[in-house]
Amino acid sequence: MIQLFHVFKEYGSNVALSDISLKVREGEFVFITGPSGAGKTTLLRLIFGAERPASGHILINGIHLNRINRRNLDRLRRKIGFVFQDFKLLPGKTVFENVALALEVTGERRSRVRKKTRRALKLVGLREKETAYPLQISGGEQQRVAIARAIVRDPLILLADEPTGNLDPDLTRDIMLLFRSIYMKGTTVVIATHSRDLLEKTAARTILLDRGKVAGET
Amino acid sequence: MRPRLWLYFLRQALVNIMNNRVFHAIGMGTMVVCLLIFGTFLVLFVNLNAWLQGWGHTLSMSVYLEDGIGEPGRKRVEAFLRKLPGAEIRRYISKEGAMRDLRHTLGPQAALLEGLSVNPLPASFELIFRNSPGKEKVDSGKLKERIKTIPGVSDVEYSEEWVKRFQGILGVVRLAGFFIGGLLALGILFIVTNTIKLTIYSRRDEIEILKLVGATDGFVKAPFLLEGMIQGVLSGTTALLLLFFGYFLLCGKKIHLMGLALPGFVFIPQEYVFSILIMSVALGLAGSFIAVGRFFDL
Repeated sequence: MIQLFHVFKEYGSNVALSDISLKVREGEFVFITGPSGAGKTTLLRLIFGAERPASGHILINGIHLNRINRRNLDRLRRKIGFVFQDFKLLPGKTVFENVALALEVTGERRSRVRKKTRRALKLVGLREKETAYPLQISGGEQQRVAIARAIVRDPLILLADEPTGNLDPDLTRDIMLLFRSIYMKGTTVVIATHSRDLLEKTAARTILLDRGKVAGET
Repeated sequence: MRPRLWLYFLRQALVNIMNNRVFHAIGMGTMVVCLLIFGTFLVLFVNLNAWLQGWGHTLSMSVYLEDGIGEPGRKRVEAFLRKLPGAEIRRYISKEGAMRDLRHTLGPQAALLEGLSVNPLPASFELIFRNSPGKEKVDSGKLKERIKTIPGVSDVEYSEEWVKRFQGILGVVRLAGFFIGGLLALGILFIVTNTIKLTIYSRRDEIEILKLVGATDGFVKAPFLLEGMIQGVLSGTTALLLLFFGYFLLCGKKIHLMGLALPGFVFIPQEYVFSILIMSVALGLAGSFIAVGRFFDL
């Protein structure tokens, strides 16, 4: 599903990723871990196509990201859900509208948009808050809205960057259960986290990054 | 593209306009002023052109006679003039009559003429030639040369010379119109581009998120392009309505130009109305196209 071959990424003179090669199979649950600045977010952004590698090759579901054009990249992104560390919710739109946005860009029928959005909100337990605005709900709820938006299109891959970074242990457990349930439905899930607690409590393949290199795997 | 997507774009464009109504109001206000200036210029140009064309249909001519031509000579010239096709002698002005007319025209300054020992003014015939729609137009230049060959005729002046001079000026006015129109179009383009840029800036977070959830460039750009078009339609329509209102106020009034009562004002023809509307929409679209083109590189 996700394949990286000798991928390098630099920002000026800073090397963010160095000679990364890895494979994530379809339907796998993987943690990317490592200290701050290890390159976790950069790796997710490369997989998402938000950035291009300096060298090396990335294949997503058989599609070569180095050779993809803008239009096809936009279409590929529709098959990937991304949960951002800072949620990236629009404060002027309601919970429902924020989630529906991911479907509206595909030109789905309004009736289908309504149906799928409500289903995703139900899955994350926010059906009752669909008319609220992001600033009217808690941080944990905002995180769940971001997850609902990422899964509303039934993506092949779900990427999450520090999804529990700002949450208390109870909410962290709830969110991880949510990711588990999404994984159980067949979605490939890749989560970047530096939380040891989270890794210890969740049995899954873990790739350790350190200073831009793969330092280990369990 | 699917119709429901266009509805979505239209809704987004209207929401953008409402959310940035101050920017849009300023932008549209300036656009209306620019279009109004251009429209006013067009109305004046169209009317001047129409008046000149009206004058051109009736050719008037003054045939000046040599001093001391005598009665038989005058009659010979009169007989010749009467034979000219389409010609109508409006009046004969004797030397004394010409002096009387001049005194009348000068009014209080007529005393200046007291010092003259002889009357220097020539006697003349005033002729008019009517150009009938079906008939061939009188060639005033050839006619003038022909009349000048009659014994006893000293000079000939005709109204078309004035019309031609005016037409020359009108040509310059037309060029100035193109220049002003071009400048105003550039101004409008600049205004629309910046208005749309401001709305893009105000929505940059949403644009970023739209791109991250897989929106194509076309999907993100379309509402902004529609926004420019709507701005063009609203500005063009408002400018035309104001122009018509101004015309409505003026059309009942008698207008004088160089002492002549001009015929009634006319509004710009329908094709010009559509041209202004199409131009404002096209400029709105072009402005937003430039704005989105410069902004989007996500």
